[in-house]
Amino acid sequence: MNKEQALFLLVFLPLIGAAILPLIDRASVKLRNLTAFTLVFASFLLSAFILPTVIGGREINIILNLPLGFNFILTADILAVFMAMVSSFISAIIILYSFEYISHYENQREYYFMVVLFLGAMMGLVFAANLILLYVFWEITAITSWRLIGFFREKQHVLRADKAFLVTVFGALVMLLGFIKLHSETGSFDLAAIKAAVKAHSISNLAIGLILTGILAKSATLPLHTWLPDAGVAPSPVTALLHAAVLVKIGVYVFARLFIATMPLGALWHAIFPVIIGLSALVSAGAALVETDLKRIIAYSTVSQIAFIFLGFSMGNEIGIAGGLLYILMHGLGKAGLFLCAGIIEQRTKTKDITQMGGLIHVMPVTAISFLFCAFSVMAIPPFGGFFSKYMVIAGTLQAGHLAIAGIFLFGALLTLMYLFRTFNMIFLGEMNKVPVSGSSPLMVFCVALFAFLSLAGGCFIQYPNRIVAAAVQQMTAKPL
Amino acid sequence: MMETLMISLILIPLIAAAITFVLPVKWRGVCAFLAALVNFLIAVLLFRKETTIIFPWIGWGIDFALRLYHFSGFIILAVSFFSLLISLYSLEFLKNKSSARQFYGFFLLALSFVNGAVLANHLVTLLFFWEGLLLTIYGLIAIGGKQAFKTATKSFIIVGASDLCMMAGIILTGYIAKTLIIQDIHLGLDRLGSLAFILLIIGAIAKAGSMPFHTWIPDAAQDSPLPFMAFFPAALEKLLGIYFLTRITLDMFKLDSHNSLSVVLMAVGAITILLAVMMALVQKDYKRLLSYHAISQVGYMILGIGTCLPAGIIGGIFHMLNNAVYKCGLFLTAGTVEKQAGTTDLDQLGGLRSTMPVTFFCFLVTAASISGVPPFNGFFSKELIYDAALERGKIFYLAALIGSFFTAASFLKLGHAAFCDKPRREDKGIKEAPLSMLIPMIILALTCVFFGVFNRIPINDFIQPILGRASENHNFAGWPSSLPLVLITIAVLAAALIHHYAAAKIKGSGLKAADHIHHAPVLSAIYRWAEKKYFDPYELGVKLVNWIAGLLSGIDKSIDWFYDFFTVKAACGCSMIIRKAHAGYYIIYVVWALTGALLVTLFAIK
Repeated sequence: MNKEQALFLLVFLPLIGAAILPLIDRASVKLRNLTAFTLVFASFLLSAFILPTVIGGREINIILNLPLGFNFILTADILAVFMAMVSSFISAIIILYSFEYISHYENQREYYFMVVLFLGAMMGLVFAANLILLYVFWEITAITSWRLIGFFREKQHVLRADKAFLVTVFGALVMLLGFIKLHSETGSFDLAAIKAAVKAHSISNLAIGLILTGILAKSATLPLHTWLPDAGVAPSPVTALLHAAVLVKIGVYVFARLFIATMPLGALWHAIFPVIIGLSALVSAGAALVETDLKRIIAYSTVSQIAFIFLGFSMGNEIGIAGGLLYILMHGLGKAGLFLCAGIIEQRTKTKDITQMGGLIHVMPVTAISFLFCAFSVMAIPPFGGFFSKYMVIAGTLQAGHLAIAGIFLFGALLTLMYLFRTFNMIFLGEMNKVPVSGSSPLMVFCVALFAFLSLAGGCFIQYPNRIVAAAVQQMTAKPL
Repeated sequence: MMETLMISLILIPLIAAAITFVLPVKWRGVCAFLAALVNFLIAVLLFRKETTIIFPWIGWGIDFALRLYHFSGFIILAVSFFSLLISLYSLEFLKNKSSARQFYGFFLLALSFVNGAVLANHLVTLLFFWEGLLLTIYGLIAIGGKQAFKTATKSFIIVGASDLCMMAGIILTGYIAKTLIIQDIHLGLDRLGSLAFILLIIGAIAKAGSMPFHTWIPDAAQDSPLPFMAFFPAALEKLLGIYFLTRITLDMFKLDSHNSLSVVLMAVGAITILLAVMMALVQKDYKRLLSYHAISQVGYMILGIGTCLPAGIIGGIFHMLNNAVYKCGLFLTAGTVEKQAGTTDLDQLGGLRSTMPVTFFCFLVTAASISGVPPFNGFFSKELIYDAALERGKIFYLAALIGSFFTAASFLKLGHAAFCDKPRREDKGIKEAPLSMLIPMIILALTCVFFGVFNRIPINDFIQPILGRASENHNFAGWPSSLPLVLITIAVLAAALIHHYAAAKIKGSGLKAADHIHHAPVLSAIYRWAEKKYFDPYELGVKLVNWIAGLLSGIDKSIDWFYDFFTVKAACGCSMIIRKAHAGYYIIYVVWALTGALLVTLFAIK
């Protein structure tokens, strides 16, 4: 198999395969589950397969010219492969977890179809080197996440799914306007062509602002963030997938793709953007300290941590960008673990209100320790993985000379300590308020423990992911802007 | 070879920690003791050796670098000495206690991290181990009991906040110095430099337990298993915090006595001495009383180092060492009392002098040391600090002296109440502790005497090389140089003694000897508020943060309201207007169509 075929397969295997899942479902539920997992895991393996080639400095391209000047381009560079590996790997574990979790509910057929389709769209988005193609995949993720958030079909849930859909699609449409403006300025939707054109003349702030709106809406950043905590009504593996690992990282990824690897952010937005994300980090961390709904707390925490990733990317120095990329990985692992823990807790206590919990460490010790480990990683305590990413992001900020912004984010980091401890203490320690129902699934606990272990291992063996990140940063910044 | 040994200082406790978590419970203690023993032997082997090592780690100037030299070797030796004694002591103390299950694992993990932090020659390596200690603090306190997690969380957040400051300081320092290798950093104190300096100092003194980062220590004294207190707040954190403080002020930044930051540092020290000792004086619990002294003594070290005079710095470092010895010993006596008598509440103790004579002897020696009675070790280090403090300002000297008076008074009260008063409770056959608990205490007590009488050895051989050339022509060892200061010290101690006996006589019991201070007109109100934690910076901080969080959450809610209410209403309103326009009148549609056609034509013409 040559590398081009591998790239093609890793995008289209889940995209096409998703459609077959409902058919397999008629034959065997087990087989359907396994197929879903295999499709996603195959994406991971194929991305790992092409990794050595792209690290070696070669880009893998698939180009198909379409009429009317549109074209279909998939490009695999280190950044794309890194992102594809992270999201497909985390998604695969989440699907493993859903085997057990979703088995209690109806509409499983749709669930697996949507999840695998979602992941396929994510793969397409990651490798898309054409803005229109990117937009198409972007909207597929919006539609699938709309269905997944409203999975339980209760009226309130459907309304919240609508809200998530409306906000992100509003952002996407504004972004599309930005793309069109960009096209009128550079004459192309093709990223490579845009990059070449940017050298000659700069991009208008309006176009950048329009695109940023879409990115902020998708990555749930102030003031377009409130759909994310509301979407906590979705099943836990969905929230893990959407809020932690994949969906919210789309905006971050596109930011890196466009404003680091393709064109500069421009002086105006360079000044405004850190302020927006600083406010976003603070407001959401404050809200996380006040909320009492477990999933809303973790969702607000995601909003807050996403701001750290943006911070690293927007500082324009290598250490910050590298920190941001590592942050994507570490936050994905830690936060996915937290959401999956929330799923176990929710199924066993039948509530999401942390004030009604307590003392659960005695009945679910492995879940408790896993929760704590993942929380430590999000808090950035060494030797957990989150430490390095947070350090590098803050280092990037200070090196760029933004003392006040760094101060705001350090306060945000302190709030992170406080709200995660508050959550952990209220759920797992103290007096037991309510005896949970028995019967946790070993598979679900295994998935959670795996995320906890990976959060720790990610810190202890930081050099391995870091090698990919370092190469990616070099590739992104080395080319003349 | 030496490099391997140096790395094994970090790796052996780490591997042993992993092993203890899976061993059967009864073997865990032995495993920890053996690991501590090996660690101690390696530390002895490496003492006075010099070597550096550097591995590439993450890139962007972040490497894994260790450096062994006279200062770090000395601290490593001290750390391994205390961990050996405490692991021996814990074998018996924690027998049949539930906290023994996890104690040894966290203990070894802490040892590994402390070794790493002391040896670190790169600021990020340092931060990695330094912040990693948060985990072990949390773990060691949380295993103390059902409600201990609250204190554990408190300590985690206080120390975590200071570590965040230190992280910022480290990044700033690296940014100014263009390197993160500690050995190569020599900075001046300009505006940005001062900011970095202050941030680093916050990290260092918070680790040492100085005010205002101290309030978790008294709480931990009551909640955590006792060996933790002897290990962490009494010994390791002081060694680590003051070690780093010294390196910041001496190597990384050139702090001199003309800089106003030196005065700030001295003021922090002086305030810590006074406030903490005043709190210690009125405590009615053995362990809680000691914990306030663990805070108060840091004040002397910070004051000494803050003077920026050779005598003060040497006194500060010597005091750090002495404090670790006697405070560790004192906490161990508290543990022995707790184990044998079943309580540390002074209201229920008394008369232990006859039943636990060896413990009483160890208490006597270590209490005399902390009070600064000659010829024990605390006397000599305090005299050096007095000397330097007096040169910098009478007020600092006075603060240190008052601190000494109350230290002596509170230990007279403690000793009197626990050991010499008539038993306040029916004696249920309290016996002397077993040998494995007595040995560490005796060793520590003897060390107090040894470091006092032969203070030449620690001062000349361990400490003076740290200062290098600045102290070459001075002699700080031996009997203090200034006779008047010694006389004043002795007079203060005598006053404390007389005060105690007079008060005890009037009140009829050693326990109540400080009650007239506790219930003095203004002080009683202040004490009452302090007990209610009105002055606790942590409680105040949490209140403030919760208030801010409420505000931020309000902002968030109002943004959400905008979506859930305003946009919905606006959309409904718009569609209402448009719906009204679709009234079904033929003529209106014709007008619209014509207007549209007109606009298109105009656009096309243009």
